[in-house]
Amino acid sequence: MANLALTKNELSCPQLNVYGSDPLNPEILFPPLAAGIEALMEYLSAHVLTCLIPAFFIAGAIAALLQREAVLKYFGKDAPKWLCYSVASTSGTILAVCSCTILPMFAGIHRRGAGIGPATAFLFAGPAINLLAVVLTARVLGLELGAARIAAAVSMSVIIGLVMAAIFDRGQKEAEETEACQIPAPEADGGEERPGYIPPVFIGVLVGVLLAATSGLPLLPKAALVSILALASALLLNSRFTRMEKSSFFGETWWLAKRIFPLLLVGTFITGVIGYFLPVDLIRTVFGESDFVACLVASVVGALLYMPTLLEVPIVGTMFGYSSGTMAPGPALALLLAGPSMSLPNMIVIWRIIGSKRASVYISLVVLLSTAMGMIYGAIA
Amino acid sequence: MVKIEVLGTGCAKCKSLAKNVEKAVAEAEVEAEVVKVESLSEIMNRGVMMTPALFIDGEAVAVGRAPSVAEIKGMLLKR
Repeated sequence: MANLALTKNELSCPQLNVYGSDPLNPEILFPPLAAGIEALMEYLSAHVLTCLIPAFFIAGAIAALLQREAVLKYFGKDAPKWLCYSVASTSGTILAVCSCTILPMFAGIHRRGAGIGPATAFLFAGPAINLLAVVLTARVLGLELGAARIAAAVSMSVIIGLVMAAIFDRGQKEAEETEACQIPAPEADGGEERPGYIPPVFIGVLVGVLLAATSGLPLLPKAALVSILALASALLLNSRFTRMEKSSFFGETWWLAKRIFPLLLVGTFITGVIGYFLPVDLIRTVFGESDFVACLVASVVGALLYMPTLLEVPIVGTMFGYSSGTMAPGPALALLLAGPSMSLPNMIVIWRIIGSKRASVYISLVVLLSTAMGMIYGAIA
Repeated sequence: MVKIEVLGTGCAKCKSLAKNVEKAVAEAEVEAEVVKVESLSEIMNRGVMMTPALFIDGEAVAVGRAPSVAEIKGMLLKR
């Protein structure tokens, strides 16, 4: 009887229900949602948007206005080795705007071009130094970790490539005779000549906008600088590019934003919610130090998990609490290195393309080197 | 009869190229057979390293990008 009376009382006075065991209890339901929303707001803040929006325009310009195919000639059979590895380890910034372009290029370099070494260097470095990802890492997780991510990814990719070549490339002659097809240049619709340096200059101005927008200048000079540079880029775009190039530039930028942004928002919200349920103590025990075990676990987790582009940043920052100091810098870097380049689905594809022996060596190399890089960074950070 | 081939492993760009091709064929009112080439080894055999790629009558007309409907239409009408 008393029970019934209490229920009635609760009904008429809902705020009393707060400490009940009802699954819809706001005390249980709201904090995880709040954590998700909080994570989301952090990524929607002006601080992050000022870097992401220019970065999307830069990526769009790279995809639409640069002759990316020109890079391919450095992956040929006859290209000098040092040049080949340098290009393989860095060209991901401009070639790998979309991760789906990586695997065909990997297979192409492996089978027709410079062989397994440069191919695996490219396969690893491509997603790891993707422009958008690096910009977001530096902005959200700190400049230091962003710089460490680039340096470690580039040097790792060269080591991986050289080791793969040393093990598997000995005296191997896979003479496949098919010539690479002639790549037709996109048709110019105006027929108007333009010096070759204009597109890189245009991208340079956009990079200037990004740097100005993320600089530590006071608001007023910063706003002035950003608007001047943005205006300059608009004028340059308008006077020196054809109508088709312009529409392709805006098309690419919008296409990228449309594909990446919703995933990033949903993903960030989910990492916030999951992060709420992950016990801080557990994370601290596993990832709290930059020792061997922490870095190894972080790289294995990173290698297995599939992360949509850019989501590695909130996973490290919010879910594992790098931003709040729960996760140490070493495992954070290890996860950022092994994460985007590898996932269970893409391991299977790689397995099919290069065979089980090579694939298992490649996967172990990625995991071990990410661990080592994490430990080194943990020791100096 | 024009033979149009769309090469791509099924990524988003490749799908948007396939859609553009369909629209262009309809708008240009040419008789065309559109084939999607999705196997990686077949793509490799063509010497294509960057997807998506577009072949018209066995000739590469765009590699590593998805031309717009208008551009594809222009290519078709020129033949």
